[in-house]
Amino acid sequence: MTEISFFRTDILPLKNELFRLALRITLNRDDAEDVVQETMLKVWNRREQWSELESIEAFCLTICRNVALDKMKRADSQNTSIEESGEFEHADRSYAANPEEQAVQRDRVELVRKLVGQLPEKQRTCMQLRDMEGKAYKDIAQVMGITEQQVKVNIFRARQTIKQKFLQIEQHGL
Amino acid sequence: MDYKYIEQLLDRYFRAETTLQEEQILKTFFAQGAEDMPQELQQYAPLFAAFDEQPVLGDDFDERVLAQLPADIVPLQPKQVKARTIRLTERLRPLFGAAAMVAILLTVGNAINQSMRHDTTWMDADEYANIKVESLEPSVAYDQVTDTLTLAKDEIPMPVPSDSLLNGGID
Repeated sequence: MTEISFFRTDILPLKNELFRLALRITLNRDDAEDVVQETMLKVWNRREQWSELESIEAFCLTICRNVALDKMKRADSQNTSIEESGEFEHADRSYAANPEEQAVQRDRVELVRKLVGQLPEKQRTCMQLRDMEGKAYKDIAQVMGITEQQVKVNIFRARQTIKQKFLQIEQHGL
Repeated sequence: MDYKYIEQLLDRYFRAETTLQEEQILKTFFAQGAEDMPQELQQYAPLFAAFDEQPVLGDDFDERVLAQLPADIVPLQPKQVKARTIRLTERLRPLFGAAAMVAILLTVGNAINQSMRHDTTWMDADEYANIKVESLEPSVAYDQVTDTLTLAKDEIPMPVPSDSLLNGGID
């Protein structure tokens, strides 16, 4: 298989997974899209390494995260504010039968999304890869260059924080 | 429905002790949203709903990325090789200059050569008259030609029909 056809069949299809990770880190759709594009080019430029890789997916996710973190650092140094992304679509839950209930439900999902966005980046990324993408601790550790135990700790803290803040707001309001 | 199992899973989920399969069970459970779900459980539904969000990139993303790859390595479309008809004159045009130069050299060289030879073979009127007389003697010329032809007749082999060659006629 030529490099370009491998790129088309095995790397380009990872775009949405990379996009969601980039979006989780940058919290901005345009930035996230730029990140994925840059990631794709970087992965292409390192094509001589492909054959040595255990997982091309983990490789792409690692590059994506690093590109996203770089972008955030640059944005910070330029003192530009990062807009909160409104791009995570509202989930439509079937059990929320009437429109009013659906709206309330949407607000709650939106609240969770915001709370996740407020987590430290490591916790956010761990949560994204585990709870949204369904990855094993081992794979997340590989992507982030930390131990499995550290991944677990980050996920534990993220879930605890989300739970506490969410229930607090639900019960007592903001 | 017994929600004990789900409650137990939830507890373990928040302690980061669930497996991927168990987390999938929780997701599916909350996505289905049972009618009689207790309030304690239902409050966690938005959490798992938020995890289900799948924002995606636009359809044109692939083409934009591929367009950025170096074109010499990645021809997006196979390079078109167009057949171009070139007329003979067009094809030979680069040689026209050289041909003209050769022609000039030949002309000039010939002219010089001619004038030089003219100098060396110059004869005076008497010599010229002698030659003329000698070569114009008709009977002598006739005899010479007749002798030559007679000789030639004996020397030159007659043409052999081609099929006789195939049948060993040369033997």
